[in-house]
Amino acid sequence: MSWDSFIWFALGAVLLWAAGAFFAWKEKKALVYLCTLTGIAVFFAFILGMWISLERPPLRTMGETRLWYSFFLPVAGIIVYSRWRYKWILSFSTMLSFVFICVNLFKPGIHSKSLMPALQSPWFAPHVIVYMFSYALLGAATVMAVYMLIRKDKTTEKEINLTDNLVYVGLAFLTFGMLFGALWAKEAWGSYWTWDPKETWAAATWLCYLVYLHLRKAKPAEWRTACVILLVSFVCLQICWWGINYLPSAQGLSIHTYNVK
Amino acid sequence: MKEGFLIGGGLLVVGLLLQITLGPIDWSLLAWPVNLVLLVLVLAAVGILYALRRKVYAFEWMMHTGAAVPCLIFAATLTILMGLLPQVKGESVPWLSQMLRFWPFVLIWTWMMVISALAALNHLLRWKVREIPFILNHLGVVVAIVAATLGNADIQSLQLTAFTGEPEWRALDDAGMVHEPGLAIELHQFTLEEYDDGTPKRFASDITVYTEDGKNVRGTVEVNKPLKVNGWKIYQYGYDVRYGAESPYSVFQLVRDPWIPWVYIGIFMMIAGALCLMLFMAPKPMKS
Repeated sequence: MSWDSFIWFALGAVLLWAAGAFFAWKEKKALVYLCTLTGIAVFFAFILGMWISLERPPLRTMGETRLWYSFFLPVAGIIVYSRWRYKWILSFSTMLSFVFICVNLFKPGIHSKSLMPALQSPWFAPHVIVYMFSYALLGAATVMAVYMLIRKDKTTEKEINLTDNLVYVGLAFLTFGMLFGALWAKEAWGSYWTWDPKETWAAATWLCYLVYLHLRKAKPAEWRTACVILLVSFVCLQICWWGINYLPSAQGLSIHTYNVK
Repeated sequence: MKEGFLIGGGLLVVGLLLQITLGPIDWSLLAWPVNLVLLVLVLAAVGILYALRRKVYAFEWMMHTGAAVPCLIFAATLTILMGLLPQVKGESVPWLSQMLRFWPFVLIWTWMMVISALAALNHLLRWKVREIPFILNHLGVVVAIVAATLGNADIQSLQLTAFTGEPEWRALDDAGMVHEPGLAIELHQFTLEEYDDGTPKRFASDITVYTEDGKNVRGTVEVNKPLKVNGWKIYQYGYDVRYGAESPYSVFQLVRDPWIPWVYIGIFMMIAGALCLMLFMAPKPMKS
């Protein structure tokens, strides 16, 4: 499998996801699951193919992490659909996934077989995959926050409940990602936490989502403030994921730079 | 929550005063047994706060989410600031360029640990099975961070350079001082493999470790695969880049961290806690 065949798999997957989203509006449940899950399988087949042909997990470059993000968005979408029956969630996850697929099509990045020794670890795949899944869920929570802030008084209990759930599960996975990283760092670098810029931003992001969680407990009526905190948290998350590459404070300091030649 | 913001503001002021009078925090002062004394004092303080919770409203208040929110906001803000400003080593640098030595930062994080410990204790002492997720999350983070912070000064990190066939027992610390870690490393063979495009694929050293208590341990050390001998973890650290695969020596990093078991206990509690967070603590999905 090479990157050249990505467009065909991506096209197939997006069409299937779009069909799933369409049937969600039409309330044809069986077809929703059939189309969406087949699309997910098609997309995963490509990831698996890349994994085999690269002889390493496709998780090293930014383009490769975007690949997982595009994969996890519909996964998160179908989970939310199955529990809350939102008609629009699959349209949203498909569109967002499509955006990331387009970014990858127009800016594929370099995908060489080489995987530097620091990344050859059983922790590599779980650390990054868990983070990408978390980012997908927290991205969905951010969209909910924007939606609720715009609609103000029309916001329902059910929407707040969905947002809370997305954050709880997203934060759990964020915690897994961070702690797997710490356990891995101890094996690779000899210390589990060094306040490397990426780690500092991971801690800041984690604390911001904890603010949301505790504020929702302490003042359930203040859901608008909580929504604003979700937006701030998501900005931190983006800085942690790719923003630090452009941040003056992190230039040349981070040991988390693997896709820079 | 106003009280919480006032406390946070107060800690910032106290921290700034400490920073002005004492200068940045010198973490090496915490080396054993000072860290143990400090731990006992902190535990005692938490115990007293808890015991007096019925008498002093503020102590009762500290263990609830209303206190957690402002504290987390302060901690997040200072951590974001740390991420935005370049952090540098050395003496006489701007305060915010060494956030980890900045008193207000450390006081806010300490406050966070104290209220998290109080909340954990509160749930622990009114024991019920359904309190487990809460306890794992709050106690886990306290155990991990307190052990990591107090134990930091006790971490020994040395570099040992071993030439092929010559057992070496001397190692250097960061300041270039010579230490004898109580073991010698003999390098048998250093291996460097490359990909077709010339990027490194594998660094590995076939070594024997001789310990003072008479053990001979033969093993391979490579990146991501350290060797553990007598409490030391031995990491592949470097080689002579001028010679590449023909390097006559291999450099190892030797790390000993006596507090690490506690950090691991905390981390595993947090992992279990995060699992509980999504399985049991998330609100039940609402269907219309």
